[in-house]
Formats: sequence, structure tokens, C-alpha cells
Amino acid sequence: MGRLRRSRAHHGIRDIQRKYRTKRYMRDLDQIHDDIQPENASKFEKPELDPELPGLGQFYCIPCAKHYINKESLQEHQKGKIHKKRVKLLKDEPYTQAEADAAAGLQRADNKVKKAKAEAMMDVSETNTTGTSA
Amino acid sequence: MRLEKCYFCSSTCYPGHGTMFVRNDSKTFRFCRSKCHKNFKMKRNPRKVRWTKAFRKAAGKEMTIDSTFQFEKRRNIPVRYDRDLMATTIKALKRSQEIKAKRERVFFKNRMSGNKLRQKTENQALVQKHIHLVDTPAIKNLAQVQKMAQKNKLMDVDMS
Repeated sequence: MGRLRRSRAHHGIRDIQRKYRTKRYMRDLDQIHDDIQPENASKFEKPELDPELPGLGQFYCIPCAKHYINKESLQEHQKGKIHKKRVKLLKDEPYTQAEADAAAGLQRADNKVKKAKAEAMMDVSETNTTGTSA
Repeated sequence: MRLEKCYFCSSTCYPGHGTMFVRNDSKTFRFCRSKCHKNFKMKRNPRKVRWTKAFRKAAGKEMTIDSTFQFEKRRNIPVRYDRDLMATTIKALKRSQEIKAKRERVFFKNRMSGNKLRQKTENQALVQKHIHLVDTPAIKNLAQVQKMAQKNKLMDVDMS
């Protein structure tokens, strides 16, 4: 079951290094997850004409965050494996910092607890005129 | 001083270590080391990378639900310094850590239980499968006897 491949085999490949630079950082899965929600659908309905983008920005694949030059190539892409894989990936809940914190055993912030506690303390101080300090 | 958790591997980001990535929608991501940053840039899902805490928790490798996890929290409300409170807190911390360690040990033991038996049956199956390779007649006989015994057992189960 273990990996039998040699590690660091692709270390010197320039294009891979460039691909993973944040200079050309593409949309993340959690952002795309927001994009595909039905309430955000109106954003992508009528895209503006943008001469900088392929196909004037008119043929955009939302799950893959990619522009295509015409309708045919967009449809061709949507038939393909890469697109389907991406759609499948987007079915999962996106990973968040909250999940990372939870995995480290860090609970949520105590903001809400404070409110309830404060109210409880108020009740106590109202009943006990002496007032308790906690 | 706040010690944030790494976005990728959930370990603590200590001051002067790691990097923070600010995305163009102003969301921030903290990384404890370049390993985590690189993996993030490759758009890997920490839930699927085996060495992260998120994976280990999601895959049931570690204890997830326990009352000992209730203590560590992001405290946004400052607490006025109180010597007695501090002393009791430190005392309680030590005790809770002890309890947590004990429960983790129990969890690990439970998780690993049954492994030995499984390994044994697998080994036996392997021997049975390749019995023709064994040269020593005594061992061969023993293995065959075992096989027969197993078969009889199965038959008994079927009969009853």
C-alpha cells in the first residue's frame, strides 16, 4: 500500500515552481463554493465585455474559474474529466480555519458565552444586593 | 500574545515562525512552516493529506469528542489578573492534561485492539496458500491439521 516512488522527483521543474507561486493565484475552492451557491448566480448571468479576457469574458466556467474563447470550447470543457472532477470536489464542504482549530483541540471563541454569563451575573447581582465577584 | 493555529496542519504558529498569506479577498491564512504553505499553494485539502491533524481527526485516528477539549478556547474577554485564580488554573491544567493523556492512551488501545488477531489470521491464510513451498514435512502436516480443524469448525457451525 505504501508509496514506492522516489520523493522530490519534480524538484527542478521550472513550470511547476511557477504554477505554485502566489503571483498568479487562482480562485480557491472555498471561494468557488460561494460562487456556485444559487444566491450568487446573478453575478455570473450577464458578464461585462472585457477585452483582456479570453472570449471577452463571455464564456466562464464557474466551478473551474476559467474563461473560454467561445461557446463550443466551453461546452467541450464541460464534457471533460477535469470539469467533472472539479464539480465532484465542490460537493464537499470547504475546509476552514475553524476546522483547523477544532482539529488542534481549540474551541470556538468565548464571545457568546460572555453574554449568557453576563446576564446570569446580572440576575445574581439583582437578587444579592451584596454583589458577587467572579 | 496570541498563538494562532496553522491553517494546514493545525499546529501552533509561534512568533517569528512561519508565514501568513493574505488572499485578495483579505482573508488571512497562517502557516507554521514553509511545508504547510507550499501544500496550501498546491491547493491540497488538509482533510485528505495524511500528516495533518484535520486528517487524523476526520479519519478517526484520534480522539475527537471529549470533555477535556472544552478548556482550550480563544479568549476574547480579558480576565483581570488574580493570583489565586492563576494558581488554581495551573493546577487544574496539569490535572486535565493527565486525564486527557490517559483517555488518549485508552482510545489508542481500543483502536489497535483486534490488530493482532487479524494479523494472525492473515498470516495463517498466507501459509495455507503457499503450503506447497514448505519443505519440512512436520510443518506441512501441522498446517494441514490446522486446515482440517478449521474446516471441521466451519462444518460444525453450518450444522448447528
